[in-house]
Amino acid sequence: MRRRRVLAGLAGAAVSAAGCGAPDRGGSGRPGDPIVLTLLSHYATDPLKSALQRVVDEWNAAHDRVHVRTTAVRFQDLLTTLMVRQAAGQGADIIHPYSLWAGQLAQAGVVRPAPPEDTARIERGFARPAVRAASVRGRPVGYPTEVQSYALYYNKRLLRAAGLAGPPRTWRELEEAAYRTARRDRHGNTLVQGFGLSRTDDSTVVNQTLALLASRGGSFLQPDGTRSALDSPAGRAVFALERRLIDRGASDPGIDLLKAFPAGRVAMAVSGAWWTGSLKQTMGRDYRDVGVAPVPGPAPGNRGTVTTGFLLGVNAKSRHPREAWEFLRWLNDEVVPAGPRAGRAAAVRATRMSVLQMSVGTMTGRTGDMRALLAAGGDPNLGPFVDALDYATPEPNGPRAQKAKALLRKNIEEMWTGRHPPDAAVRNAVRQVDQELSR
Amino acid sequence: MATTVTSADGDGGEAERPGRAEGRGRAAGGRSVRTAGDRARPAARRTRYRCRQTAVAYLFLAPSLAFFAVFLLLPLLFAVLLSLSRWAGFDLADIRPAGVDNFAALFARGSSFLTPVLTNTLLYALGTVALALTGAVLVAHCITHLRFQGFWRTLYFLPIVTTVVAVGNVWKYMYEPGGLVNGVLNALGLRSVAFLQDPATALPSVVVVQAWASLGSAILILTAGLKAIPHVYYEAAELDGAGPFTVFTRITLPLLRPSLLFVCVTQFITGLQSFALIIVMTGEGGPGDATNVAALEMYQRAFTYGDWGSASAAALVLFVLILVITLAQLWLFRRKGADG
Repeated sequence: MRRRRVLAGLAGAAVSAAGCGAPDRGGSGRPGDPIVLTLLSHYATDPLKSALQRVVDEWNAAHDRVHVRTTAVRFQDLLTTLMVRQAAGQGADIIHPYSLWAGQLAQAGVVRPAPPEDTARIERGFARPAVRAASVRGRPVGYPTEVQSYALYYNKRLLRAAGLAGPPRTWRELEEAAYRTARRDRHGNTLVQGFGLSRTDDSTVVNQTLALLASRGGSFLQPDGTRSALDSPAGRAVFALERRLIDRGASDPGIDLLKAFPAGRVAMAVSGAWWTGSLKQTMGRDYRDVGVAPVPGPAPGNRGTVTTGFLLGVNAKSRHPREAWEFLRWLNDEVVPAGPRAGRAAAVRATRMSVLQMSVGTMTGRTGDMRALLAAGGDPNLGPFVDALDYATPEPNGPRAQKAKALLRKNIEEMWTGRHPPDAAVRNAVRQVDQELSR
Repeated sequence: MATTVTSADGDGGEAERPGRAEGRGRAAGGRSVRTAGDRARPAARRTRYRCRQTAVAYLFLAPSLAFFAVFLLLPLLFAVLLSLSRWAGFDLADIRPAGVDNFAALFARGSSFLTPVLTNTLLYALGTVALALTGAVLVAHCITHLRFQGFWRTLYFLPIVTTVVAVGNVWKYMYEPGGLVNGVLNALGLRSVAFLQDPATALPSVVVVQAWASLGSAILILTAGLKAIPHVYYEAAELDGAGPFTVFTRITLPLLRPSLLFVCVTQFITGLQSFALIIVMTGEGGPGDATNVAALEMYQRAFTYGDWGSASAAALVLFVLILVITLAQLWLFRRKGADG
């Protein structure tokens, strides 16, 4: 104990000397002034940024005592920003992390389990995969505000041009469709990818592979999350499928999928529900060519995909946790009319967060809300994602989940670029992930 | 010489014994700089004066010493402490002793730290230094023979004042499959190259950009070095009938060695510590680990995965590596007479 105190003292001196010890103070602190809660999210660009700001403005207009101030960074910078600001004593009161990081943040004491009242509301109101994604050791650490499941996006025009009537339902059909739609010019430049593989970030690299893996009944980790389960016939088959698609010219991971698909240069890709909102905004009228289908499995009728999400939790270091949870309840649990912006959905009642998510083309883990909003005129492309919440596997979120995912990503890329054959890449990933999880 | 004598007095604690001090001063030849007033001054007064002088000196040094203590010594000690601990980066009370586990994990079988991360780091630094130094010597040599030298130096210095993010992004777009570089290759009838997407070409592609970006400062130093070479050597060589190549290799390069040493050492250290350009151009050091370097690895371990222990261990390994390489460079150049 004494040794720990000495260590902490030494470390404290070092950090204090560097001027990093001051915690963020909410509000001016003058009597009568409102408490200001800060909210850090990745809703940095429209339509997400404006949608969140609208509800926060609504809260601020209706509450004199507690105000909320939003700050946002790109998703790719969110974890680093969260960690650095927390280390500097500048952590936001309300944080909006990716559920994959929940275990890491809980272990570091950044988030704590939700109070009993909120726990009951979360467990009662959200789909099981959403609650599991937002829980650590079986207890929710926040509201699962944004839930993503993965499905197959396809370009109807490109499939039609290749003589295909609809999206593939099996891996065999997927491969055939990919080879038939892919085109290159005489210099070897890819004009159209049959099946797009994304290299943008860990999520886009790994989740597409894990969704295909789940469609074959496989998984990344064992159910208890302590060891890898990738070294299986399903794991090797998925790696081999992706390698084959690249070798035969149907996929080109070097091309930015997130730009190429909206430009009509990708026939099919596996991605999350969030993409519908982004595609709608960037593609304009061409969005009518976009269709969504369940992730194909090896045989007709195979079902399986992954689900991920974000949670809104309260920083363990917040000086105003009671007020922060109060805001989160208002946002995630109070039922309101869908509002004039939702068009025909005006008559539907749902929580503010469900309405917000639907308005930007994504969804919450409240399947009831989502089905009601969809039925009242939401984007039909969201249908397969909502259906998937019933059978999807949540992404494991243990204390070393992000690192394990990064290791898997590196090995997937080694396989894509031909540095390792699929089987060797699987073995390598398993060894590295197991080593990391055992630390 | 007077300084030598007085400091001997002070350090030896013998200021109370003037006879011996003066005797030693005479032996050291200090008498010539001592005034008659000095000799007459009582020893105690002289000691007080010296103490005051020392205090004033330390007072002037204090800001620098405080700066080094706060921003160098304390973080260094903290890094050593963390390298032997486990810590998530937030609560100081959560620092847990871990012995040498972090170092062992870095070099464990299957760990990517030694290969390819450290290998990439060395290749990156070596490639950058080789390209930048060669390019800078050639360009600086050419510039000294041109008119409007200031203009050319400014032109080559411009990349230095541009931010790494801008440089990285521009080059990234140029390297893309449909980018400028591939456009030129296609126009020449060649196939496109996946510069940043192929593990074989990704690291060299970034090295070229880093070398290009650091060319300006190297040219600036080398042109100054070239100007310092006395012109009489060139006149003598001309009289002896030496050709341009002989003049360059037998006169210019040897006399430029001190400048080359400085550029070489600083560029190598910069290369070993670099990671900003790699983040901008390749994101996580990909594809796979093809462009991952030690500084990027420790940044991710600390700020992304909250593993400050192994990040600090990696930082200390990099510190030792830089120290060894720098000492080796100094030793090598000294043997060649660079600082002689």
